[in-house]
Amino acid sequence: MTNLKLSVLVFASILFVGFSANAQDAKSILNKMDNVMYSPKDMTGKTKIVLIDKAGKEKTREANIVQKGNDKRIFRFTAPSSQAGIAVLSLPKDVMYLYMPAFGKERRISSSVKKNNFAGTDFSYDDMESKPYAEKYTPKLIKTESNAYVLELTPLSPKSAYSKVIVSVEKTNLYPKTMDYYDKGGKKIKEAVYTYVKIGKYWNAQEIKMTDFKKNHITRMIMSNVKYDQNLSDDEFTVRKLKQ
Amino acid sequence: MNKLAKGIIKLKWVIIIIVIGLTAFLGYQIKDLKIDSDIISSLPDDDPAALLYKNIGKEFGGNDMGMIIIETDDVFKKEVIEYVKQITDTLSVSDGIATITSLTNVLDIKGDEWGIEIGTLLDEYDLPDTTSELAALKDRVFSKDMYKGTLVSEDGTSTLILFTMADGVDKQAVAKNIKEKITKIGIPEKLYFGGLPFMMNDISSLIVSDIVRLIPITFLLITFILFLAFKTARGVILPMLTAALSVIWVLGTMVLFGYELSMISNITPIILLAVGSAYTIHVINRINTTADSDRKKALIKALTYITIPVVLAGLTTMIGFVSFVFGAYLGIIRDFGIFTALGVVYALLLSIFFVPAIIAALAMYRKPKEQVNDDKEKKSILNNLILFPLNNLLHKHPKYILTAWTLFMILSIGGAFLVEREINMAEYFKKGNPTRVTEDIMQEKFGGSQPVYISFKGDIQSPDVLKMMIKTEDHMKAFPAIDRTQSIADLVQEMNDVMGEGKRIPDERAKVENLWFLLDGQDIMPQLVSDELDKAIIQSKFASTDSKVLNEFVTYMDDFVTKNSTDDCQIEVTGMPSVYSKLDQSLIDSQKSSLIIAIIMVLLIVGVIFRSLIKGVYAAIPIIATIIILFGFMGVTGIPLDIATVLVASVALGIGIDYSIHIITHFSSVYRNTGKLDEAMEETIMISGKAIVINVVSVAAGFLVLIFSEMVPLQNFGLLVAMSMIGSGLGALTLLPVILILHYRRQERINK
Repeated sequence: MTNLKLSVLVFASILFVGFSANAQDAKSILNKMDNVMYSPKDMTGKTKIVLIDKAGKEKTREANIVQKGNDKRIFRFTAPSSQAGIAVLSLPKDVMYLYMPAFGKERRISSSVKKNNFAGTDFSYDDMESKPYAEKYTPKLIKTESNAYVLELTPLSPKSAYSKVIVSVEKTNLYPKTMDYYDKGGKKIKEAVYTYVKIGKYWNAQEIKMTDFKKNHITRMIMSNVKYDQNLSDDEFTVRKLKQ
Repeated sequence: MNKLAKGIIKLKWVIIIIVIGLTAFLGYQIKDLKIDSDIISSLPDDDPAALLYKNIGKEFGGNDMGMIIIETDDVFKKEVIEYVKQITDTLSVSDGIATITSLTNVLDIKGDEWGIEIGTLLDEYDLPDTTSELAALKDRVFSKDMYKGTLVSEDGTSTLILFTMADGVDKQAVAKNIKEKITKIGIPEKLYFGGLPFMMNDISSLIVSDIVRLIPITFLLITFILFLAFKTARGVILPMLTAALSVIWVLGTMVLFGYELSMISNITPIILLAVGSAYTIHVINRINTTADSDRKKALIKALTYITIPVVLAGLTTMIGFVSFVFGAYLGIIRDFGIFTALGVVYALLLSIFFVPAIIAALAMYRKPKEQVNDDKEKKSILNNLILFPLNNLLHKHPKYILTAWTLFMILSIGGAFLVEREINMAEYFKKGNPTRVTEDIMQEKFGGSQPVYISFKGDIQSPDVLKMMIKTEDHMKAFPAIDRTQSIADLVQEMNDVMGEGKRIPDERAKVENLWFLLDGQDIMPQLVSDELDKAIIQSKFASTDSKVLNEFVTYMDDFVTKNSTDDCQIEVTGMPSVYSKLDQSLIDSQKSSLIIAIIMVLLIVGVIFRSLIKGVYAAIPIIATIIILFGFMGVTGIPLDIATVLVASVALGIGIDYSIHIITHFSSVYRNTGKLDEAMEETIMISGKAIVINVVSVAAGFLVLIFSEMVPLQNFGLLVAMSMIGSGLGALTLLPVILILHYRRQERINK
């Protein structure tokens, strides 16, 4: 009897230790991934957004990006000509301003619905947010592959459009390789594939390819001319700057 | 003919083996028989309005749209909003669904001096639950055309959840799955399922139900009638066998050529059971009455005599079905005509080749002792109570009969002017049928269910085109049966308003392009504008099903289009009103053309065979009289001309003419041999008359089974054809003999 109790206790503690080790690992992997993704102080660059519809037809948009930290960003479209000059300023606490050159006016925009897609892409406002993953999800290590950790992320907020996100994190450099998004019915609805390259001391997501399986639509976001840590001032991220 | 008959007897086993082989082969094909319930695909490609309607449905997803209606006492209650969310959530995780629009997720653009909010009408995670929140929601819903009468009925008692299906999915399977899932939630309010995918499911199950229920009933009924008439196994088995084989062959052929069973052609088996047995009945009847000590010779003699009248009868029936192949507006009607005609050919071939072959092969010749029965038969009820008295009446009072028919026809011509037309698909379903109920709710609460589309081709981001769209929408809304419209131009106006420049289309293209930025990627966009921005549509619904109003609207819009459509902004109108209006016109055209084709062909064939045009005309008189009475009957009883009843006249003509042909053939041959008018007519009435009575009863009974069909037009079709059969049978037994008697009496007088 005592033996049995003892063995249960031993077994339970092994299990507990095992679990907490797992939780520890998962958390630290995710933190490290966040570090890789969000460590630059600031960044400037060009992005090319290629939209591919179900028939394989492509539409291209181009924009300049200026970003400071995780929560200040200006997205200024340069092409096509019909959208050139349109700019979006994102500030902390979900504050966003949209500038429309044809009207010469800016408007504060809010999208109460984070799962709405950003400007016709397959990225939702939620996906575009540069908020560390560890602040939004609870991770669980579900698999260790030869060159990647596979984490299952469960959203902390019930308002998330996803039931879970499965991230495959590269083992040595700890950048994300793929993210699979699952809807509340447990079905995979989107998939992001990352291509990382090292620029200076940072890893840069040179391309993110997002596929929406429901719409059969693909968005490729390709970065170029990326420069880091130019000590951008906060003045770059004001409504006045937006209108220039 | 003699050679043919001998050949058939000689090659009996070859024929039997071929028939068995073909039946096995074609019967095996039937396993792949599919049901086509897609009424939209049946619309003709050569009608511009119908083609445009089909294309718009495809391009902008309207044909794949389904809707779920919640009917309650007040939509703006916490629980009801919660139900809407439950349904929306269920849909959003169901396979095959592309987009969903409901109160809990619909796009909402709000603007004030503070800024623009692009979001949803409700926060799905913080649904309104206080009285004031619900009241605010109600105000918001009723302030916008995008919601009022579209998502929530104007009386606030019903709300819609719309969804579109993803590309390349099995729409009916998705619809079925959704209906099951949503029903399972157990929402304690009334739910209705509408839209083409659900309707197609409904039609499919009606087609299957009709086939499964009606074919066995028809089969048993006709078997029973044949048994009463012949009282012999072969008199029942052989006609039913040939009819059944022709059904199997036709269905197999349909599969072989890639055709599907539609809501019209599902009655082909029933028609063939009723009509196809007739040829065998005539063949057997003739064999039975041909006396010869050598049974084989008797068979050849009988065949030699009967082949021509039976081929003629089959040919005319075939023409009846082929006659609407030409003028048919709907593909399903054309296919129905072709395959039913083919079935008639099969039945005909089987009765001429297979039936004698099997009689010869199995030595099913009539046994000599049955000869005695013939005397007994002369005293049967049919003979005593109907045929003898009829024969007497014909000779004694020919003019009374003629007068009675004339009077009846005059009355019917009056009635024929009252015939109405019905083109509204919803009316085709019985009251209480789910599709019909949903249509009625849509009609009552959401301004109709019949889509109207105005298509615009041009540069959709050009302010001129957008302004023209607004102008068109205003013009449409001025028509009483149009309540509201929706287009990309409306959204641009609304965006312009939140930018603080008023609810109108901006004059500069650059502004339109800027506003577009916010609309891009919204779920609703693909339903309103093409990806290349070169096509857009105005969506609306039509609230009336009155064909007069439909026609008025079509003219009203056509005038507008003629005045306003330009090369840079090409406007086209389509939708159910346009299609119905064409369908309406086509009912009249197709009725006229099919009837004219059928009459001319039948006159020609009968004339050629009898080598006398006058006999052709005589043969046609009973059936033409019947058709006139048929239209009179439709007018008086209010049975409308629709996609099925438009077929009745030609079908009746094709089948009904047979009775006249049998009477004239028989009468002429006896009269030629004996020269005695009275005797010739008596024999004709007693022998051919009997066959006709049996045939009328079995064919009419077969068609009457259609009264139990799930579809109203098919019910009417069955009733009317049965009535026409009785009419034309009666005509062949009364009107035609009287005409013949009067004709030959006069000729005899002249000869003297």
